[in-house]
Amino acid sequence: MARSQPPGTQPPTASAPRSRYSLRDTLLSYAFLAPALILLTLFTFYPLAYGSYLGFTEYGGARFAQGLGPRWTGLENFRTLAADPLFLTALGNSVKYLVIVPVLQLASLSVAVLVNKNLPGMAFFRAAYYIPVVTSISLAAVMWDWVYNKEGTLNWALGVVRIIPEGSFFGWLNNEQTAFWAVMLVTFWRGFGYYMVLYLAGLQGIPAELEEAAVLDGASSWKRFWSITVPLMKPTILLCSLLSTIAALRVLEEVLVLTNGGPLNSTYTALMYVYSKAFQGFNFDYGLASAAGLVVAVVALLLSVANFRLFRESDGGES
Amino acid sequence: MTQFHKKQFHKKALLALTLGLSLTAVSAPAAAQATTEVTFWTWYLSPKFDPYIKQTIAAFEKANPTIKVKWFDKQDSMVQDFIASVNLGNAPDVVNLNIDETGKAAQNGFLRNVDALTPLATLKSTFYPQTLANFTVGGKVYGYPWYGSLNEGVLLYNPDLMKKAGVSAPKNMTELLNMVKTVKDKTGAYAWVPALKDPGGASFLGYFSSDGLPIYDAKGNAAFNSAAHVAILQKYVDLFRGGYFPEDALRKEAFQLATELYAQNRVAMIVGGPQALNRIKDTNPGLYAKTVVTTAPLGKANTQTGTSMGMVIPQASKHPAEAAKLAAYFTSNANQIAFAKIVPIIPTTAAAQNDPFFKGASSDPIAKATALVGASGRFINPGFKAPGNSDDLYKNFSDNIEAALLGKKTPKAALDDSVKFWNANMKK
Repeated sequence: MARSQPPGTQPPTASAPRSRYSLRDTLLSYAFLAPALILLTLFTFYPLAYGSYLGFTEYGGARFAQGLGPRWTGLENFRTLAADPLFLTALGNSVKYLVIVPVLQLASLSVAVLVNKNLPGMAFFRAAYYIPVVTSISLAAVMWDWVYNKEGTLNWALGVVRIIPEGSFFGWLNNEQTAFWAVMLVTFWRGFGYYMVLYLAGLQGIPAELEEAAVLDGASSWKRFWSITVPLMKPTILLCSLLSTIAALRVLEEVLVLTNGGPLNSTYTALMYVYSKAFQGFNFDYGLASAAGLVVAVVALLLSVANFRLFRESDGGES
Repeated sequence: MTQFHKKQFHKKALLALTLGLSLTAVSAPAAAQATTEVTFWTWYLSPKFDPYIKQTIAAFEKANPTIKVKWFDKQDSMVQDFIASVNLGNAPDVVNLNIDETGKAAQNGFLRNVDALTPLATLKSTFYPQTLANFTVGGKVYGYPWYGSLNEGVLLYNPDLMKKAGVSAPKNMTELLNMVKTVKDKTGAYAWVPALKDPGGASFLGYFSSDGLPIYDAKGNAAFNSAAHVAILQKYVDLFRGGYFPEDALRKEAFQLATELYAQNRVAMIVGGPQALNRIKDTNPGLYAKTVVTTAPLGKANTQTGTSMGMVIPQASKHPAEAAKLAAYFTSNANQIAFAKIVPIIPTTAAAQNDPFFKGASSDPIAKATALVGASGRFINPGFKAPGNSDDLYKNFSDNIEAALLGKKTPKAALDDSVKFWNANMKK
């Protein structure tokens, strides 16, 4: 049955406005996008594409010095990686490092909720939690070395409360069982303030009337947190989880300055493997390093997709 | 002036101007070509040694007015910058590298052999045979040996701690290892910090070679797993597991850790180069003043080992002849002696062994240490030749030594595993 439309309210055909505006709009859009696109192409897309290509080639010190370009070797680098126990240990450690993600997110969200209150002196806490983010890693390494040392403050504190008797003190970074978790705590310390600020920004975007209405309805603070704050913060939680997952897989600085991968490679991460292959002096192997980097990128991609799916499902299938 | 004369004058003036311009055009590039700019990279020398480097460059430029030197001091990123500069087509002309990096760079084709730029006879008469051999790869010399240091060097000790422990300065490594327990048990301080594991190196191999044990067999295969090698490692494992060496020796560079702990009265002795004294002088002047300096305890081979810096000329250098002049000038005996007067380095030039500067007596620890080792350039020898792919092999060796020290493998299993890995992966 044909539906009648009032005169003058005929919906425009899909193509009509496009023919009037599309070329101008498109050109203008691209003109605005051009600076960013050029920079992204130069510094992100091209290195990404070239780095991916190098993963399938032989390209190292000798070929480089002789002015020879990369030589296509197909999956050879990936076979080398699969047969290298050091790479498998490193990848395993990087995946294990993901344990930090939920802990870090929960802690930073909880503290963001606390420092979101308009109480006197709260600005100090917000700034204080952010200080580790802007502290140089070299300085942080010296400080944490004092904490974790055999004669350091952590052993002293645990000795005072008699969790560890004085004769059993040990260097937390020298012990195969504890070094990994000790380094992870430094990552937590460095990342906590960053995610807290992101959550704080998200929290300040939640309309106050929702909270007030819930208070009037008699909802407890716990109920308000789970029924109002968490659902409305989902986009921020997804973003922070993604960033945190990728950062955990790419952890390198803390390991380099605190343990250099030891003891017994217990803190040797995948990015450290990439770094050592790409920058081991004149014996560098860009091909193998790029292949290892690609493997890490694929793992990060899969985990990102899993993150998106998880959040979509918890939203009842809505995108 | 008539019209004719005016025309003639204009013609002459025009001719003179044309000639003048032509002459300028011809002479300008000639003048530009007359000066060659040479780019020179040092490694970790600025800002502390700026005056010495600048004075030496000025003297070189005065002696070679057609060469101008552009100096940069590189630090952490030296090798990466070198590789990047080759890629960008603006490679430096003279680069300061150590023995290991020179070997790797030469094997990969990054360097020119300097015996093609400076006659081999001149090189042989200038440097000790061993210091020149350290920079020789595949029969060609790839670097001008520069300042060096000895691994054993000298023995520095804290006399109060030694007295408390009731021991006197060890005369050899056996004596040193035998007093490790006594010193720790009686004073609470460590006797000494051995180089057990270091990033990018395989320092423990040095303990084998200082006891006269081979690293390779006659065919060039790794062979550091004999019963004698195992016995040495076992000794260190026992002491480490007994708490007689600091745990941090597995995580930190031994020399840095030893210097830190010595300055805090937590280590009784340092075996190494006199450069530790500079740091102790800065951090604990009281301890520096009473520190005793004497000859270093040596292994059963009774010889020192050591390493040195060198100056290399990249294959991509655009001015190799001028670069060779600069490298030869900086590494000459006179300039190395001048450098030794500023910092306790060991010159690699043969003439240094007779220099009166190293024969003076002094009670100052740095001056005494310099006198003890300054003329010992002939001992600058890493003790064994690094394999081609040293990074991967050294990492495996260090991992195995660490596994033995932490009790995860027996010393025999650790050395067997490492030898197996080396022989399966070594690029000679």
